[in-house]
Amino acid sequence: MSVSEATPGLARGTSPGRPARPRRSRLARRRRRAGILLSLPAVIVVVALLGIPIGQAVYYSMTNWNGLTAQWIGPSTYTAALSDPIFWRVIENNALLLLSIPFAIGIPLAIAALLNEHVRGWRFFRSVYFLPTAVSWVVIGMVAVQFFALNGLLNKMLAAVGLGSVQTNLLAGQRTALLALAITFIWSMLGTNTIIFLTGMATLDPTLLEAARVDGLKRRQIFFRVTLPLLKRFVQFSFVITVISAFSALFSLIFVMTNGGPGFGTTTLEFFVYQSAFSLGQFGTGALYGIILFVIMIVVGLVQLRLIRSEDGEGW
Amino acid sequence: MRHWKVLAATAAAALLATACSSGGGSSGSTSGPVTLTIWENYGTEQNATALKNLAKAFEKLHKNVTVNVVSQPADNYFALLQAAAVSKTGPDLAVMWTGLFTLQYKEFLTNLKGKIPAADLARVNPNALKWTSDSFDAANGPYVIPLENQFYIGFYNKAAFAKAGVASVPTDWTQLFAACKKLKAAGYTPLTYGNGGQPLGAEFYPWYDLSYMMIGAHPVTSWQQLYSGQIPWTSAANEAQLATWSKLKSNGCTNSDVLTKTNNLGDFETGKAAMMVDGTWDTQKFTSALGSKVAAFVPPFSNSPIKGVVDFAGDGLSMTNYTQHSAQALQFLEFMTTSQAAKIINAAGLIPAINGTSTSNPVNQQMLNFVSQDHMTAFPMLDNVVQGNVVNTGSKELPSVLNGSISPKSALSSMQTTLGQLPSTQRGTSYP
Repeated sequence: MSVSEATPGLARGTSPGRPARPRRSRLARRRRRAGILLSLPAVIVVVALLGIPIGQAVYYSMTNWNGLTAQWIGPSTYTAALSDPIFWRVIENNALLLLSIPFAIGIPLAIAALLNEHVRGWRFFRSVYFLPTAVSWVVIGMVAVQFFALNGLLNKMLAAVGLGSVQTNLLAGQRTALLALAITFIWSMLGTNTIIFLTGMATLDPTLLEAARVDGLKRRQIFFRVTLPLLKRFVQFSFVITVISAFSALFSLIFVMTNGGPGFGTTTLEFFVYQSAFSLGQFGTGALYGIILFVIMIVVGLVQLRLIRSEDGEGW
Repeated sequence: MRHWKVLAATAAAALLATACSSGGGSSGSTSGPVTLTIWENYGTEQNATALKNLAKAFEKLHKNVTVNVVSQPADNYFALLQAAAVSKTGPDLAVMWTGLFTLQYKEFLTNLKGKIPAADLARVNPNALKWTSDSFDAANGPYVIPLENQFYIGFYNKAAFAKAGVASVPTDWTQLFAACKKLKAAGYTPLTYGNGGQPLGAEFYPWYDLSYMMIGAHPVTSWQQLYSGQIPWTSAANEAQLATWSKLKSNGCTNSDVLTKTNNLGDFETGKAAMMVDGTWDTQKFTSALGSKVAAFVPPFSNSPIKGVVDFAGDGLSMTNYTQHSAQALQFLEFMTTSQAAKIINAAGLIPAINGTSTSNPVNQQMLNFVSQDHMTAFPMLDNVVQGNVVNTGSKELPSVLNGSISPKSALSSMQTTLGQLPSTQRGTSYP
């Protein structure tokens, strides 16, 4: 007696340990085929507009492409880039900018919590805090330059409160310019993140907060023990867009405020891609740094996904 | 059958005629209306005025030609030019910087040897043509017809010097620091720095100063060794020069906001600042603002009296190798070598690069006299004869040296590292 005869439902040739794959009906097969056919145009578009350019970028990253001609060099372009101290300085700048993420999330969260209490004039303040989102990065950058300049508003304010001795030109030092950039970045993310958290708080079930109050929790305890855990999804979303912005949306801010300087003090990987390709005409090198940025973003995205899903018990 | 033969013959004749007419078109020999497109990155500099006036004069001479001068953003001008070359949608003529810039982009430029009559080329300053030719040898043929002779140069306010009691123009570091002291005491910013007038970046462009520091450190015959690395950027001579330069700010010789000031030109024009290091493209601006009070001086960044001056045809026009109007484009380039063009260039306040012509601007004439009468050695612009990557790193690091934010050694090490990262073919003992 063969196994297939002995075990009803097992397809011919399958091992006894594995359940048999249910045989698809004709209708299911036709539906599957139709699904593939209907999704094919979208797949073709994605491959044409994303897959091919990414593949080309990978190829050109291993050449000395100058926009007109390209000579194959090979993977040694990557080893050369990784041994360049300027490249590591640029990565360090990106890493240091990540330190601003907790502030770019924490401050809007605190503001949203205050506004959610419906303090007097909260509607006006909501509009004020949302304002940075409506302003272009270029304008923000230009205002920031005036604010941090030696004769700018910051130093005048310091002088007015008797702190003239600590007046400094933040944009003139490599580390201080990065600090000025980070502060501007935090400010520019204020509106978006505040609105995200306010929206989140508006979705919370008020009976839960009421129950917490009845149970005798104080305002602070309610925020940390009830509101914040319930806002987890919104914090995660805010975290994702803030990290992505820190890596890939600061170009115009850097371009206007510091042009990547002083030295390489505010040059991020994104800006480095632009400089290599468009200032120096070394498109191959630009492609190389673009691929590295792409890989970093994939890793960051996967880590975020992992963190979010592991808390839900879903794994990757 | 005969009917088909007739049709085939007619079709072949039509194809042949089309081919002939398109061939004629591409060589630019049509006598019909032609629009010649020129791209420039001059912004509001006097070069822009000169080019526009050259275009107008050329149109008068060639009634069928309209010259369309397109001002492109300076910051990514070369990237735009390169991208346009890939799709062959760029201009017929384009402003091109000379030196290594030309050689970097020569793949889409036309070598003008044999294209422009030798008699016309002979009218151009041979030293100017040299820096636009392969291996920097004029015999290989130029890619660019220079627009003007440029000087990286110092400008000073004679009235400020007189008021401060500075009797003579400083010629070395010691005299410069002494002059600074007097000028500061008289209430002037001795030497102003900032990014005013610089379309290239947020900070001031340090290569004017570095050119003079290298003049003070090495003879012109040794400058190729900065390209090849035989003289390391980190050499003691270079470090010493930068160390002295960085003292300009710490000794109060400059404004305090050297990295972020934007109206440094304004400070000089209004008489608040006594000196600035700039170039011929701003001569007219200064003479208009200060009249006879402004004069030129050689930045004295040297321990002994400085003996060299940056005198270099830094830019000009080149013809793209994909132009559809090569005949008219070449006519324009030929026109640039004429005395009529020289007059137009001079009228814009620039120094023509045409032999036997002169400049009517007294400050420009003073610069020419540094070479012709004071027998100073003419040096090229340093940023045009060292690698673009090194220039880029230097542009980022050197302003911080003057600001005192980083050490000379650190900045020079970065430049040396950048040089070391380049393939050996880009740092040979001869130019490419």
